[in-house]
Amino acid sequence: MNSFWNGKRRYVALLLFLAGVFVALVVPPVIPFIQLPGENLPAGYDIPFTDIRITNTLVAAVIVWILLLLFVVYIARRRPSDGSEVPPGGFYNMFEALYEGLMGFIGGIAGGPHFRLIFNMFMTIFLIVLLSNWMSLVPGIDTVGFIHAHTKEKFDPATEEYKVITTDGFEIYQGFLGISYVNGQCDWISPEDEAAADATALARAETAALAAQQSQLEADAYQRYQAAHGGHGDETHADEASDDHGDDHATETDASDAMAMARQDVLNARTAEKQARRDRGCYTGVGLSSWEDGYEQAEKDGKKAPIPLHPDPKSEDAKRVPWVVLPWVRVASTDLNMTLTLAIIAVVMVQYVGVKALGIGYFTKFFNFSTLFKSPLGGIDVAVGLLELIGDFAKVLSFSFRLLGAMFAGAILLFVMSFLVPILPWPFFILEFFVGAIQALVFALLTAIFMQLATISHHHDDDHDHADAH
Amino acid sequence: MDPQSTIVLGKAVGAGLAMIGAAGGGIGIGLSVGGAVMAMGRNPDHTPTIQTNMILGVAFAEAVAIYALVVSLIILFVLS
Repeated sequence: MNSFWNGKRRYVALLLFLAGVFVALVVPPVIPFIQLPGENLPAGYDIPFTDIRITNTLVAAVIVWILLLLFVVYIARRRPSDGSEVPPGGFYNMFEALYEGLMGFIGGIAGGPHFRLIFNMFMTIFLIVLLSNWMSLVPGIDTVGFIHAHTKEKFDPATEEYKVITTDGFEIYQGFLGISYVNGQCDWISPEDEAAADATALARAETAALAAQQSQLEADAYQRYQAAHGGHGDETHADEASDDHGDDHATETDASDAMAMARQDVLNARTAEKQARRDRGCYTGVGLSSWEDGYEQAEKDGKKAPIPLHPDPKSEDAKRVPWVVLPWVRVASTDLNMTLTLAIIAVVMVQYVGVKALGIGYFTKFFNFSTLFKSPLGGIDVAVGLLELIGDFAKVLSFSFRLLGAMFAGAILLFVMSFLVPILPWPFFILEFFVGAIQALVFALLTAIFMQLATISHHHDDDHDHADAH
Repeated sequence: MDPQSTIVLGKAVGAGLAMIGAAGGGIGIGLSVGGAVMAMGRNPDHTPTIQTNMILGVAFAEAVAIYALVVSLIILFVLS
């Protein structure tokens, strides 16, 4: 096998490079869509019998757990049961070397009575974070998934529910079995909003009519005033004066005409607005309770039909809305949920180790009132203890945001580089390989160090001094 | 200028300003690694201890830069 590959691997590499060039030419990369929170998988993929939606980062986290379990089972089975010192070789051997190296490393930092506990915690966190970080290097992860309209949720105050709309204001109808439809370019308007808009339009029509009547009456009064007092003027003619009574009657009809016209103007504008929405293919609102109604109405009117939420990307439909890829699997550590959970577990375990080592006296680290009335600077100890308490909450934030920031930035780097240099993005994959390993090590190492610090009594030095003094 | 462009402009400028914080992290990492390398040169026997502490210090200094990065990422991709 080895002799066969000798000197031929370079051609394999060249072949892969040419394949990369070919694929980049045939399937030009697209500008990636970047979203910080984990994306929900579409409706129909939620946990059965519940409303709980599954995010694609949760899928990655579950994959990590399964891989770790398989890994543990494999290591346990490959471990020589007779206690022989000869390692079985292969992957097991590599893991044993890594394990021993890390054991020595942690032994140097936290070697002591609580070494086993600290090392177990260190190794667990290290393997979980390492596996989930390195998942970003696997082809297909973060890139292969559903093509769907770029959506967001909008709160509807009328029904107090969230409606899914696209970011450009297209409405999405949640249809049967998760088959969803995007309607034409609409602002999302609920039937209640539509009715309210109608009522507003009616009220505005009445106001406009009253205003029109008022102005018409004023104009008439002014005319009559002119007619009555301008009679002495040279330009007043006898025939105009004789028409006076008839004019009065005419102004009455003028006023009601003006009222009707003003009212009609407002109502016409409202109707035109509705018709314009309808022309754009928006069948939301009055009288339509579901997308099926809208679909039928659109077909009847010969207008643009609703677009399926997962259309053929090359079809005409797909050009009408912004489409993005929703990956099936996205690296778990690019989601704050995962990193925050790990950080809380780590910090809670730090407190656990501290209590285990020092008993209830561990908490005097935070609430240190013992020196308050004994020494003139006792107040400083109290303040320092409270700062320690705040510091432990800050640890959660710093743990979670460090991992999230590093891995999310790495994911964006890979996206952007795959877009800019589609044939040669792999140097950045090597970079990500190291960043993932270092971030996993830093997360686990800081946990181990905080645990070690928690096992050390704060008053040890003081007691020692007192013992010396006596 | 229409409101959409104003929002994009504000987000871009804000994200750029937030990344100024990364400079502090860079200075910190440079100082700590420089000090650690000098120490390792003087007494190579203590290299493992120095290296561990250096990586820790670098991680802490880097964390500050990553907070700045997270802030600018939130400005860019979460604010709407």
